[in-house]
Formats: sequence, C-alpha cells, structure tokens
Amino acid sequence: MRRTTVISVACMTAAALTVTACGRGAEDGGSAAGQTGAAVSTGKATGTITVWAMGAEGDNLSKLTKDFEAANPGVSVKVTSIPWAAAHDKFTTAITAGKTPDVAMVGTTWMGEFAGSDAIDPTPAQIDKSAFFEGAQKTTEVNGTSYGIPWYVETRVVFYRTDLAKKAGYDTVPTDAAGLKDMAKAMQTKAGAKWGIGLQAGGDGSWQTLMPFAWSEGADLTKDGGKKYNFDSPEVLKATQYYQSYFTDGISNKSAPATPTTEPDFVNGTVPMFISGPWMMSAVEKVGGAGFKDKYNVAPIPAGSAGSSSFVGGSNFVVFKNTQNRDTAWKFVQWLAEPKVQSKWYTISTDLPSVKSAWQDPALASDKKLAVFGKQLETAKAPPSFPTWEQAVKGLDTELEKITKTGADPATGLKTAQQQADSIGTGM
Amino acid sequence: MSVDTAPRQPAAAPQQESGPPRSGMVGTSRSGHWWLYVVLVIALAAVVAPFVWMVLGSFKGEGELRQIPPTWWPQDASLDNYTQLFSKLNFGQYFTNSTVVAVVVTAGNLVFCSMLGYALAMLDFKGKRVIFVAVMTTLMIPGVVTFVPLFVLVANAGLVDTIPGLFLPWLVSPFGVFLMRQFILGLPRDLLDAGRVDGAGELRIFWRIILPLCGPALATLGILTFLGSWNNFLWPLVVAQSEDKYTLPVALALYSTGQNSTNYGLLLAGATVVIIPVLVVFLIFQKRFIEGIATTGLK
Amino acid sequence: MTAQTGTTGSPTGPVTPLPVTAPGRPDHGSSRGAGDGGSPGRVGSGRRREGRAAWILAIPFCLLFLAFTAWPVVQSLFMSFTDTKAKDLRHPFSVNIVGFDNFTKALSDPIFRKAAANTAYFVLVGVPLTLLLALAAAVALDKGITRFRAVFRLGFYMPVITSIVAVAVVWRFLLQDPGGLINTVLGWFGITGPNWLGDPNWSMPALIMMAAWRNFGTGMIIFLAGLQAVPAELHEAAAIDGAGAVKRFRHVTLPLLRPTLLFVMVTTSIGYLQVFEEPFVMTQGGPLNSTITVTYNTYQQFGFGNYGLASAMSYLIFVVIAIVTALQFRLLRERS
Repeated sequence: MRRTTVISVACMTAAALTVTACGRGAEDGGSAAGQTGAAVSTGKATGTITVWAMGAEGDNLSKLTKDFEAANPGVSVKVTSIPWAAAHDKFTTAITAGKTPDVAMVGTTWMGEFAGSDAIDPTPAQIDKSAFFEGAQKTTEVNGTSYGIPWYVETRVVFYRTDLAKKAGYDTVPTDAAGLKDMAKAMQTKAGAKWGIGLQAGGDGSWQTLMPFAWSEGADLTKDGGKKYNFDSPEVLKATQYYQSYFTDGISNKSAPATPTTEPDFVNGTVPMFISGPWMMSAVEKVGGAGFKDKYNVAPIPAGSAGSSSFVGGSNFVVFKNTQNRDTAWKFVQWLAEPKVQSKWYTISTDLPSVKSAWQDPALASDKKLAVFGKQLETAKAPPSFPTWEQAVKGLDTELEKITKTGADPATGLKTAQQQADSIGTGM
Repeated sequence: MSVDTAPRQPAAAPQQESGPPRSGMVGTSRSGHWWLYVVLVIALAAVVAPFVWMVLGSFKGEGELRQIPPTWWPQDASLDNYTQLFSKLNFGQYFTNSTVVAVVVTAGNLVFCSMLGYALAMLDFKGKRVIFVAVMTTLMIPGVVTFVPLFVLVANAGLVDTIPGLFLPWLVSPFGVFLMRQFILGLPRDLLDAGRVDGAGELRIFWRIILPLCGPALATLGILTFLGSWNNFLWPLVVAQSEDKYTLPVALALYSTGQNSTNYGLLLAGATVVIIPVLVVFLIFQKRFIEGIATTGLK
Repeated sequence: MTAQTGTTGSPTGPVTPLPVTAPGRPDHGSSRGAGDGGSPGRVGSGRRREGRAAWILAIPFCLLFLAFTAWPVVQSLFMSFTDTKAKDLRHPFSVNIVGFDNFTKALSDPIFRKAAANTAYFVLVGVPLTLLLALAAAVALDKGITRFRAVFRLGFYMPVITSIVAVAVVWRFLLQDPGGLINTVLGWFGITGPNWLGDPNWSMPALIMMAAWRNFGTGMIIFLAGLQAVPAELHEAAAIDGAGAVKRFRHVTLPLLRPTLLFVMVTTSIGYLQVFEEPFVMTQGGPLNSTITVTYNTYQQFGFGNYGLASAMSYLIFVVIAIVTALQFRLLRERS
C-alpha cells in the first residue's frame, strides 16, 4: 500500500508543478501590424529550396520551375505535390512540429491562421503589391502586414444558358439585382426550367454565394477598425433578405443535397443559371459535350448600391519563417509574380493570373468569357484574414441555412450569427 | 432451455465447412431452399452493385460520370483514367511503400501482440492488471485526440519523412493484444503444465507449443491489420514530406481531389486499383480467417 | 476556401486495424478472469520464472506503448484542461489552465447536444439493424444453402473493405431524388421516395442505411463462425424431441450465440458511437445539422484550432463509450 501512496504523491506533485509552470506570458501580440519583410539581395538565386504545392498545380509547377532553374544556374527547386484532401491538416501539423518547407502554395482562407502561428514571413517591399488585383492582394494581408503573394485567382460570376435566356426574353443578364431575379423567374415561366437559378441554401461555404451580393451593397465584414466581425450590418441584411426571397418565391431549390448536381442540371436545362467560378466552365463543357460552349455565357454579379462585386479566391504563395534559404525563396516567389511567368502559368494550368498586366496576354485577352472574370476581379473582395474566420462564418452559414430552408427571419438570424462571432472573437 | 456455458471448441480441430450433415441441416434437403438462393442473389446484387458501378465508372469519362440519372455501362469505354493514373503517378514507388509499411506493421503486430496476449492470458505477473487496463483504455479513446501530439512526438524524434516514421507508432495495437488474449484464453492450460514438466522454458513453451496453435487468430489479426494499414490516409499524408515516401492512398488523392472540384474518373480508377491487393489478401486468408473468428472471444 | 470535395480518410490512424469498428472489452464471463493466472500449487521459483518470462514478452508492447501512446494521451488529456489553441501547440505550456471549463462548454453547446442526440439516434437504430442483417445473412449462408458460400461471403464482406470515397460517390447517386436508384425502385412499387440527402428528416435514415450496408459483413463473418460452433448433437437431440427449425433456432442456437452476440454488439456500438466518415463524406453534417455527430463536431473544433475544447470533447466521447460498453456487458452477461 505504500507503493500506491508514493505513486499518488508523485502524481499530485507532478500535477502541481505543471499547473504552476503553465500560463500565458505577456502576450507578444503575434504579428505586429504593418510589417514589411527584410529586403532580399539582388543577383541570382542559389542553393536548394523545397516547395509544396497542392494537387494538379503541384504537378504542373515542376514544368514552370525548370525556367527558374534555367535562369538561375545552380539553383535547385524541389517541388512536392500534396493532395488537396486534408492539405490544411498537413500544414497545421507541419507548422506545429516545425517541419515546414521553404515555400508553399496555401489557400487564401488559411492566411490568418498561419500568420497567427507566426509561421510565415512578411513580404519584402521590393515586391510591387499594386501589380495584383486589389482583392487578391488583400487576401495576403493579415493585420496590415502582407505575407507572400497572390499566385492565381478565381472569382464568382453568373453562368447562364444563352439559348434558354432568349426563350425567356433576355439577351444578357441584367446589371441590377432585381433584374437578375426577374430573369431567373422568367427562366421558369417561359423557358421550362424547374429552378430559375441554383443558389446554395446555406450550409458550408454558402457565404461565398451570399457575400457577392452583400459586397455589391458595400458591406464591410469588419467594424471598429477591424477589431470585430460585422455580420448584422444593414448591407448584409439587405443582401440576405434578397437572397432569401429566391427561396421563398420558389426560384431556387431549398432542398438541394449537400453535394450539388450543378453540371447536369445546367446542361439539361433544369437549372439554367448558377453562380460559380472559372473551373465550372470546363466542367459543364465536359458534361454538355461538343458545341456546348456556345450555349452558355457568363456575366458579372449584378450591381448593388456600391457597384458589382464578387468573391475572390485562389491560392497564395508564402515563404515560411524557418526557411534556411530565405533569399532564394523570396526570389522564387518574386519570379512567380512576373507577368510573363503568370501568363505561362495560365497556359500550363488554366489558373487565372493574379497580376493585372498578365491579362493582356493574347491567350487571355481573346477569350470573351474569361474577360468577364477579368473585369469582375477588379472589384472582387476577400473576407478578413482572421484566424477565427472559418469558425465565425460557420455560424453565418448555419443561420443562412435556417433562413433559406425554413424561412427564418433574416434579421434575427444575422443577429445570432453576430453574437456567436463576437463570442469567438477575431483571434488577433 | 438454457445452457450455462457455450461448449468449447478445441482450437486445433475446427469444423469443416462442407462435408457430413451439420447442425441445423437435420431434416432439410441437402441442396438447400431454392427460394433462399433467389433472395440471397438479389441481396448480393444490392450489396455488390456499388462496386460494379465503381469499376465500370473507372472506364468512363468525366462528363458521363456527372450525368443524372447515372449511366451503367460506359458509353465510350476507355482506359484513359488508368493511363493517366499510371503515367502521372510513380506507381511502383507508392505501391512498394504501401506494401512495405503494411507488411512491417502486420508482422510487428503478429509477433508483439501474440507475445503480450499470451502473457496476459496464461502467465501470472506483477503489473498484469495495469497493463491490461492500459490496453483496454487505449481501445476506447478516439484516435483523433492523440493525432497531433503523436505527430509532434514523431517529428521531435526525427522520424518525419522516413519510412520508419510511417510504421513505428502502429507496430503493436491494443486491438491485436485483445484478440490474441481472447484466443489464447481458449487454449487448454494443460499444455503449459505439460511443457513445464518436460523441462521447457517459459518462452519456449510460448514459441513451440502455444504459437503454432494460434494459426487462425494470427490469420485474422493479419488480415485486419493489413487492411487498416493499407487504407490509412491521414498519417502517411502528414508524415511524408517528399513524394517518394507517399503511400498509395495519398498518391491517389493527389490528382483526384482538387481545390474546387473532384476528378471522379481518376478517383474511381484509383479506388479500383487500391482494392485489388486487399481482395487478394482476403481471399488467401479467408478460410483461416473464418476459423479464427470461431475461437476468439466467444468463451 | 470552398469546401473540399471528395476528401478521403478519417482523422484516425490505424489505432485499431478493423476498418470500421473499434473492438470492445473482454468477455468477463470467461472462465478465466482478467487477473487470474497460474495453476494452483506452483512453487515460488516457478512463479518468478513465469514473471520474468511474462515481462520479456510484454516489453516490446510496453516500450512502444509508452513511447507512442501514453505520452500523446497524457498530453491531450492535459490540453483538455487548458485553453490551448492551434498556435499554442509549439509552446504547450504557455497556456492557461481552465479546469473543467472546456467540458462544461462542450456540454452546454447546442450544436454538441444536437450532435449527441444524432449520434444516439444513429446508434440506437443502426446497431440493431446492422446486427439483424448480419445475423440474417449468417443464418442464411450457414443453414439455408450449401453451395457458393464463399462467393456470398466475399460479396457481403466487400463493402467493409472498400474505400469510403468510392462508396460515397456511389451512394450519393443511389440516394438522389429524383433519378437515384433507390427512389426509382421505390417508384416501381408506387412509393415516392423522399429527398434523402436534402431532407432533414430523412438524412439520418439514409446514413443509417449506408452504415448498415457497409458494416453488416463484419458481423456476418463473426456470426457465421459462432453458428458453426453449435454442435450438431444438440440440434439432433432437439429435433428428435420434435422441435421445428424456428424453435430450434430460438432455444438451441440463440443461447449459444450469446457470447458472439455480445462481441458483435459491443464492437459495432463502439464503432457507431464514433461515426464520422458517413456524415463527413455525404452530408457534411447537414441539412440543418441533422446528421452532425459528436466525432464530426470534434473534428470541426480541431479544424478551427480549438485544441483544448476538442480534446475535452474527445474525452467526453471516451467516457460514454466506456459506460455503454460496461452496460452491454452487464446486459448480455452469461448467467452461470
């Protein structure tokens, strides 16, 4: 019995020591606002850097890095492809264990979290931030400091069937919100569509379809100088009421399953309009077969009182703080932002360039549909890069689901989302 | 009528599948009920249909795969998905990695779990209860909660991006210990005493007498461990930093899952490819596997 | 970023090698209890020898366990009493101890409660359903037919060994409304099937169906073995006494199947209490949180970086698993 007493005393002592050893020190505040990275030397890049890139981009990136290696003899760029599935987990565990690469491609919504963990390096002043689309550049900024560069972008526009639109009496999509709704209704009454337009009825990620309307009304998702979330502002409320009306008026499907069937519905005319990004073009063309590309077109999000705005996403390229070869890492990132390299990347991958001047490249300029995306990118916005963004916006997604599926009151729903966001905090 | 304990089936002589009239067949015709066959075939069709669809789907193009209603036979069957998969992926490397890891994990479990299972079942020693409680408690803790601390531990040990890092934490599993313990509990104790009388050392008894009788349980454990290791995705994803350390499930996810979309053709082709070794292992060990289940944990 | 599609894998590594369920506790109805050992009347030196040999056999497990299991468990248990966030993981002690705050926070969170209710629904319906299918299949294969057993066995076991992603793709098409196979077949009988995955009332039944389909093969294999263990003599004796097939099943087979029943019930329950893959891949917890489960909710919290809270949730799940397992053992204990 002495044994157990000894053990229990030992355990309690260990516990007591642990408790006293714990505690947050004076918060060093994580990332101080408005930093710029230390300058990077001029001259050729040397040594080896490791790069992580996801999915098909990882695969294609090796084609691009050959040019960098040719321009900087002696440098070696080692690209590792990682799958998009669970990529976020891979990054967070790597950061925790200090096993990050020199450079990596990261999702735009992860920036706040990585910056908060003090894992990524601020962008040096040499890289010209004004070369990028403003919304895209903002996706690299956390608390006023820019980390890395936007590499490629995507934005959301209205997809519509041109042949069915003609039947409904429309040549193009109206540029105002009310007009869009009328067009969707006409698709149902005159062009035989089951649902006028496919909108996500709340749930994960539905904010990306709602926000374009809110931003077009001039909504700001933060308030108090960026210290709090701002979900229940009048602009967001107006957009939410508008969004809800599609469901209450029977124009959009409340009961669409979690995994959408957008492409077949678009091709067979059941749902001849939807809002999504550039990847859907090849997706619908694959289902639609030959000649389908002439049967549809894209149009900007209708303008609200603050013009037409949309969601900008894509991926950024960041340099990690514990890189052993910071110079070369930043040189590589800087190289990726050169317009010529951006255009070449587009031809390899069909990912849209984040650098504005790269859009003058003939391959891009000649494509009428892409031009719509290009124009939309000029005014597209990104959500705030707070570490708690995913958690806070989940509350909004959940409320939006109730609002669209059960007809709950938008004002109350937004208030609830705001309260939840306030209790979570921005994490800055 | 109530029966006190289930009659013990000697481990060394399991019942045959076919052969002389078995329990329950008394009074019924040897060929079985024809209508039951019909029902079973329908049930089998219902159960196996998704696989058939999966395999057929791997020969279809992306557009066809997204059609509604879904098609059954490929409209334009082609090997495109497979050629894409095999040309993009360094298939041999990933297959080897998966195999090496799965074989090592399985071997480790077979050896170490039977060792401890035997000790827990047959031997008396101090700390036996503590170890047993530790084993059982670990079984019931959700794996997700220890994932990150485990990774940090492995990283600090310098095992990230190494093949040993892929298999070391899984070399002995509590489930395996439990399984072997239950099975060995069903073996007659007299074997031990007979061995001792003959002057054999404890370890010798284990190695020479007990272990050979554990065939079915080892086969069971072997299959289940192999399956778990082969299909494991998250751990290899996080431990491997360079592509030459990837296992098959990780590599297959590279091209099939995208940022905003999924390439279903590649996904299905990959899933078909991944399942083949698993089917082979199952078929080889199937007979022993059934016998194994019969004699574990049923006492 | 936009929600990932077609993700693979559950967050758990091969903690247990069984593809679906975690195994259960030992059968304490055994003639040897957990702590017994050694035949009576052995000499002291024999005991010592036994002890030494036992420790040699136990060493590999103990080393690996201490290294790779014990420490992570201790660390995560510690985290559950702190306000650890993702960015604190690199400095695990620079956090505040918050006592049981995380636990009370979890228990008072309406989403966690909904998840708990959903999980209970899933387990209470899913476990009996799976057991029923498994037993029916086993009885059919064992007693009903003589030929092609191996074919049926493999076929019914196939869902267990396939990757969840392929299964999900197929099942999503099956459950589509309209046009999915299930609703088409229901239509042949004049029934209009519901919008399975889009209707909050039918989403959980859809997932239960899918889980039962995926997992009954394991139970079937185990029951098959258990059925084979029933000796022929008992059946013959009962038949001679005039008992029909059904009576024989109830009074001869079923009692002898009790230990097997317990094993399958416990392992299936433990697995279903931790259900994650089905909601993760099929519905992402929706619609309207009708399919969110406790493990899924925990995974979300880990994703948000709330490590302290998520660890507390995990250990709450552990407590429930332990209780449920103990209850089942009580319920199905051998009456000797």
